[in-house]
Amino acid sequence: MESKLTFSQKLERLRLRMREPEWRKYGRILFTGKLTGAALILLLAVVMHPEMIGFASHAADPVLKGNDIVNPLNTVWTLLAAFLVFGMQVGFTMLEAGFCRSRETVNVLMECVVDTCLCGLLFYAWGFAFMFSHGNGFIGLNWFFLKGAPATYESTGVAILAYWLFQFAFADTCSTITSGAMIGRTAWIGDLLYSFGVSGFIYPIIGHWAWGPDGFLAAMGSAGNFLPWVGTSFHDFAGSTVVHSIGGFIALAGSLVLGPRLGRKFKRDGGGPMMPHDLTIACSGGLILWFGWYGFNPGSTLSAMDFEGIGRVAANTTLAACAGGLVAMIVAWGLSKKWDMSFTVNGFLAGLVAITCPCYWVSPTGAIALGAVAGVIVVYGVELLEYLRIDDPIGAVPVHGMCGIWGTWSLGLFATGQYGATGPFGADASAPLKGLFYGGGTQVLVAQIIGNGIVVISTFAVAMVLMWLVNSMGLLRLSAEHEAYGLDLYEHGISAYPEYVISALGRPGGMGIESAIAPAAAKSVGHMGVGESARS
Amino acid sequence: MKKIEAMIQPHKLDEVKDALIKIGVDGMTAMEVRGHGRQKGHTEVYRGHEYKIDLLPKVKLEIFAPSARVEQIVEVLSGAAKSGKIGDGKIFISSIEDAVRIRNGERGETVL
Repeated sequence: MESKLTFSQKLERLRLRMREPEWRKYGRILFTGKLTGAALILLLAVVMHPEMIGFASHAADPVLKGNDIVNPLNTVWTLLAAFLVFGMQVGFTMLEAGFCRSRETVNVLMECVVDTCLCGLLFYAWGFAFMFSHGNGFIGLNWFFLKGAPATYESTGVAILAYWLFQFAFADTCSTITSGAMIGRTAWIGDLLYSFGVSGFIYPIIGHWAWGPDGFLAAMGSAGNFLPWVGTSFHDFAGSTVVHSIGGFIALAGSLVLGPRLGRKFKRDGGGPMMPHDLTIACSGGLILWFGWYGFNPGSTLSAMDFEGIGRVAANTTLAACAGGLVAMIVAWGLSKKWDMSFTVNGFLAGLVAITCPCYWVSPTGAIALGAVAGVIVVYGVELLEYLRIDDPIGAVPVHGMCGIWGTWSLGLFATGQYGATGPFGADASAPLKGLFYGGGTQVLVAQIIGNGIVVISTFAVAMVLMWLVNSMGLLRLSAEHEAYGLDLYEHGISAYPEYVISALGRPGGMGIESAIAPAAAKSVGHMGVGESARS
Repeated sequence: MKKIEAMIQPHKLDEVKDALIKIGVDGMTAMEVRGHGRQKGHTEVYRGHEYKIDLLPKVKLEIFAPSARVEQIVEVLSGAAKSGKIGDGKIFISSIEDAVRIRNGERGETVL
């Protein structure tokens, strides 16, 4: 039995114990624990009974006006869509990586990541200014480095930086599309240079024509503007022309200037496409793109208040993709008697690209019809490029370029005449668009063909000049020697799957597994060179 | 009967294969292998750290042929695989004693 200690004895014992590090540690732990407990109790008291320490329970309820709710709501919706569109980068990365050969995969991954970083800074510096600020019909000339930009964008009421983020995600999409047709033979410096041109100049300036507040195509059909006789302005709801045609035709220019990858033989020369290396990744990437499209199209309302519009756009987007995928599968079966996975994925992507422009103005039935046509176009588009001996490893030109054109035109055919414009407080059907098939005549169709034609031709011409310039400096195409050695190894120093190969390929020097586990064993395989790499 | 083993650059496989098929070589086996000859591979850099790729990817072709055809095959094969640079590869020729067709037990050159 231990006798009871007096208080002074306890103090004395404490004093002695505090001299020993072990006891000091216990003391510290005990003290910290008690302090935490006290803090928790205090916190609980504050949260449950704020009056106890004199906080007011609530801020005074303000009187909210319409705009106080509408602008935040629309901004949140735009941001949500921006996050989804950004997620499409994952999809592009996977789709492109899966459809290319393993020897060029690291390059694809790098291209997608670095494009995003580069595009973000350029869009901050001048891309957004060129595209979305006021200036003239050809280019915006304000808000460089976002200076002087208002709190909200134009009449949308969306916070300017939220709108910036949304539009940056679009710009990024466009520049990533471009890389798809240039996989496997583009030198890294050339890659950076043309990306600079695409994200910094081609996309924002040409985009301004259709989407800028005073772009000449956006106001084309009204009196005193570019082509008043057309009677309708050019419409592109979410970017079949602005994002996809531009991206697709820069891709075509790049692919033409580069020429095919080493050893690529075309069908008419007794060859065929080079084998993809991971169809699981490619297919999953395609589906992630589909998912991201729910930000791309419905988000382009920039308005949560137009809730019927969002619902319609989302449903149309889905149905066009479904139709595109199935039709492409069937058309491809007709050509090859195989249920082709690559064509099916490209088919639903083609449907998505096509519905991007008309998604707001067409009916679900119209969406299915135009998506189905896209499914046919994409298969024959791939065949056409093969015939023309153009090496487009993932089909960026047929999917984004050709179906971008078709989607833009299809508005002139399938617009139902029920829907006009979206707005921050809801739909505005005062000036509805009516296409040819719904008795609206050719007015909208003509406007679409003119607008898209101008964009496609200008993009292709400028992109050819850009690619030719970079190429003439000798920076666009990797030398044959380095391409044969391996794009990934030469430019990035490693292959995408370094552990799957039997050599020391994946092991940085000094980290040899054999030498770490059993140095003697490492010596015994030294004649194979493994031991050397472990020592290097 | 001879065995011809050729180590060639992977990207030359299609050309070599087509050239051999054109002169009537009916059978061949191709293997993806890794190895090095005199050149001893390359040094690469990952995360700023140097590492050696001493075993480079190659394709190994194995062809069994009647002795009389060996010279022609070697000539066509090396012609198609040649780029004139280090690393084009090597061809090894050895004698084969006998061959058996598993399906019917046939022996000798008729198996080829």
